[in-house]
Amino acid sequence: MAAHNEPIGPRPLRAVPDSGYDAGFSGYPDWEAVYQDNAAWVYRTLFARVGNRADAEDLTAEVFLAALRPLRLSASVGEVRAYLRATARTVLAAHWRETLGREITSIDDIEQPPESEEAISTAPQRVAQVLDRLPDRYRQILEMRFLQGNSIKESAAELGISVANAKVLQHRALRLAAQVNEGGQP
Amino acid sequence: MNARGLRRYVDDLLGGRRPKPFAPDDFEAAQIRTAIELRAARQGDGAPRQEFLTDLHRRLAEQMHGTTPKAGPRQSATRRQVIVGTSAAAAAAVAAVAIDRAVIGGPGEAPGGDAVAGQLTPNDGIWQRVAGSADVPDATMHPFDLGSVTGFVRRVDGRVEAVSGVCTHQGCRLWFDAPDDTLRCPCHTTSFSPSGQVLTHQLPIAPKPLPTLMVREANGSIEVFAPPREDEPA
Repeated sequence: MAAHNEPIGPRPLRAVPDSGYDAGFSGYPDWEAVYQDNAAWVYRTLFARVGNRADAEDLTAEVFLAALRPLRLSASVGEVRAYLRATARTVLAAHWRETLGREITSIDDIEQPPESEEAISTAPQRVAQVLDRLPDRYRQILEMRFLQGNSIKESAAELGISVANAKVLQHRALRLAAQVNEGGQP
Repeated sequence: MNARGLRRYVDDLLGGRRPKPFAPDDFEAAQIRTAIELRAARQGDGAPRQEFLTDLHRRLAEQMHGTTPKAGPRQSATRRQVIVGTSAAAAAAVAAVAIDRAVIGGPGEAPGGDAVAGQLTPNDGIWQRVAGSADVPDATMHPFDLGSVTGFVRRVDGRVEAVSGVCTHQGCRLWFDAPDDTLRCPCHTTSFSPSGQVLTHQLPIAPKPLPTLMVREANGSIEVFAPPREDEPA
């Protein structure tokens, strides 16, 4: 047993160093400015990790509904964005826990600022690498279905196979892509 | 195995519908992950709809100003209730994040080291007693649960320290394995040291260390700074 901790104030006032994210603009004037400046990248960050609009919209709403009230406007732009990304991380993790019982995708710590393309999504690069390593037919069906948004019928016609075969092909292609994507050998 | 659940999930992703919950195994989870990335890599529809942005703006105004719109369409009520229902957990976790940041920039630290710190404290936090001083001798982990924040306090060289008791991976509550002096997560066999550092994990990406909490000792009590309980006035 030694000296007690000095009780410290709950909200120490400190000078906020300029975080350097936006020179000449150290903070937001009001919550609406926070929302308008950050809604798009928060939504895109979440869409890249759930892959559908309905969930991306609900999770984006949840982030802002949870984050704005406790947010202090004295925070710098960089701090606000880091906070929003951290909130989005929590909201996304809860979403997976509730829907699939396990974490499918996550929002990781990265060096780049949260609103940068690298931070929002690395899906295009990762997908390109995966597709590159698939046999032609597998790559084609995934490109048609996922990247071009063609129907199964259209894709089957383009590949000159039956709809039933196109379904099987897509199923197998996704299995193989998942193995490649997870770092396993095809 | 749940071939039907997976097929439906992928069909929903491709059809632009909200996918339905099911319990995937490891490989199905990997396929969902890949399907999401494939779908998200499609050109040209990553941006939010204007209608959505406008609607959310209205809902936020409602929350921030406590006003209800005069003739708001009642049609969004169910969706809203769902969101409110899931928000409580998220809000509690957010509070923990905010507290974590407050501690990083605490007065004991040299200023300027970490620019992202200090200001993001919960607006409505209060000091709350979690144990008597005598309950926490050296080398014990004393669990506490304040509702909004759960964690462990301990004493190192006489000084009290507190860490969050919630796993940084998926939010499962940690338990203290005293013989091994380790905090363990029941969900994915992740373990943490008493100071919050990750000791072992089996996840693709190492989880973050446990956030530390603001803690002080005063008048024979150990107190943690946390958002007040819902049922108590601040």
